Amino acid sequence: MSELNVMAVPGGSGRIVTASWKPLAMVRSSLNWRAALYLGSALAFGLAWFIVLAVGLTLSAALVIIWVGLPMLVIMMLLWRGGAMLERRLLKVALGVAVPEPYRPAPPSAGVLGRLRTMATDPATWKDLLYLALRFPIGLVEFVVSAAVWSATAAFVFLPLIVAVAGEAVVNLGVVVYTADDPISALPVSVVGVGLLLVALYVTRGMAVLHALYGMLLLGPSRGQAERLRLQARAEQLRASRARGVDAAEAERRRIERDLHDGAQQRLLAVAMDIGRARAKLTSDPEAARALIEQAHEGTKAAIAELRDLARGIYPAILTDRGLDAAISGLAARAPVPVLVEVELPERPPAAVESIAYFIVAESLTNIAKYARATQASVRVTREGRWVVVEVTDNGVGGATAVPGGGLAGLADRAATIDGILTIDSPVGGPTVIRADLPCSW
Amino acid sequence: MRCVRVVIAEDSVLLREGLVRLLADAGIETVGVAGDGPGLVRAVAEHEPDLAIVDVRMPPSFTDEGLRAALQVRRDRPKLPILVLSQYVEERYAADLLGDGAQGVGYLLKERVSEVTEFIDAVRRIAAGGTVIDPEVIGQLLSRRRTGDRLEALTPREREVLALMAEGRSNAAIARTLVVSEGAVEKHISNILLKLDLPPTPDDHRRVMAVLAYLGAR
Repeated sequence: MSELNVMAVPGGSGRIVTASWKPLAMVRSSLNWRAALYLGSALAFGLAWFIVLAVGLTLSAALVIIWVGLPMLVIMMLLWRGGAMLERRLLKVALGVAVPEPYRPAPPSAGVLGRLRTMATDPATWKDLLYLALRFPIGLVEFVVSAAVWSATAAFVFLPLIVAVAGEAVVNLGVVVYTADDPISALPVSVVGVGLLLVALYVTRGMAVLHALYGMLLLGPSRGQAERLRLQARAEQLRASRARGVDAAEAERRRIERDLHDGAQQRLLAVAMDIGRARAKLTSDPEAARALIEQAHEGTKAAIAELRDLARGIYPAILTDRGLDAAISGLAARAPVPVLVEVELPERPPAAVESIAYFIVAESLTNIAKYARATQASVRVTREGRWVVVEVTDNGVGGATAVPGGGLAGLADRAATIDGILTIDSPVGGPTVIRADLPCSW
Repeated sequence: MRCVRVVIAEDSVLLREGLVRLLADAGIETVGVAGDGPGLVRAVAEHEPDLAIVDVRMPPSFTDEGLRAALQVRRDRPKLPILVLSQYVEERYAADLLGDGAQGVGYLLKERVSEVTEFIDAVRRIAAGGTVIDPEVIGQLLSRRRTGDRLEALTPREREVLALMAEGRSNAAIARTLVVSEGAVEKHISNILLKLDLPPTPDDHRRVMAVLAYLGAR
């Protein structure tokens, strides 16, 4: 349930604004009752702050002559900033509005004085003061309206009780005078009271919304700051993505080195040994030399095949030349299960997208061959707006997960470098769907 | 010539079999094989060979298991000649191997096995107690420049002789390689030892030690 759906710009919305306005929902949701409570206590808070600030500030100002005033001013500043932070908390709890802290961060090397200076020159600090100072007059209005509305409602709703206790009640609304002698006749008034309840709720809600806007205006970040916060978040996201991309590239290079070493390099060394031995035997034992040369020949052919496979694992030539359709068909042909291939792309996407899509399909088909025990698989590549969507499905046993350091996790990282998303839907028992959404611009 | 018996520790079956046959062609018998460090220790204990040929890079971590196993074997049997094969030049390996100063040590790049005659020659020399260091290792050591480097004082010919000496070759072999007389080689060597301020010693092995120590392989 709960929490915060927020746009941190003035005039943005919190839950108090975005939650349902339908009567039944409003009655049931605790949001409105909390809001009512908050506004009811508004006066108390407002008054308290007003007194604290008025007294504190005038005293400090007066005492500035003696140096005592200055530290007192500093304490006042910290106090009202703390009060503002408390207010933000209350807004979140009571109204479901999250106001991000707009304070400027102090430069990292600043000492205590530097930090205080940053606070004093931060416009946000002064906006906090304004908020708290105005809390009193605003709170007064809120309180009066709340009190009027709710006490009227209570009176109407509980009129039967009042009549039962007091004997008689007269409702005088100026235009209409209604006399209730006994609880029964007071019932219609109760019904009206229930209607008033709804009115009260709406009025409260309206005031709460206004208060929330007031809060966001003064306690929240300005438009420029909000933009900065958004950019910072984006920068952080990009930094993380780049780090993962770098790691993925490094892991890839190590894999290539290992494959080269264990495969082609060993084989070529064996070939060199065979040829060396053949040379030594040419005159003394030509038959043996011939056998060795034949062995060396086979060895070189095997080395060529291994190198070709390795190159394909780095970047297959067919993908560059003929695109995803041809390349994926090639993968499907080499798969041990029948694979249905559907590639519907109006035009060739950027090379990075093609590469990532290809390797996702390759890894998925490899996993299917190794683990899935499937009898059928399908690959679908389509374009949805500015996204290329790759889906590899199989009817195997499922249970595939992205183990950290594993192939699927590596693919997810690779996709993330262009802000793509890899989804694995693989319940135990199958079927498995590996889906990648790759943007064509990033 | 007495038949030399070797134990081979190499995890790649392809290369191991190739080595076995290559050695067999030259009349060298392989009495035991191993695919990892502990295997080597066991094989040496069981077969008591004349020489152990060890690949540096073996399972499980594929870093320097082979080297460490070789050093352990050396500690248990200080006189056992060992030939270590490495994928690339790592001076530290050479230093570790030569550290105990004993004889019968070889450090070659794996690709040398394709030079069949020279490889067999190296194997026999090590089994007989000599020292063989790969020319590329020496080359790397020689190309390092340090302050107070007296190598500058050597003539080009003397540097060649120095390199061959450091590889563990005898005077006769050096003379053959450079196509000069043994006497000329001896004169070069005494000049070298003088210029590098190394004690003159007739012992080939100690000479190699001195030169390598000078070059900083230790």
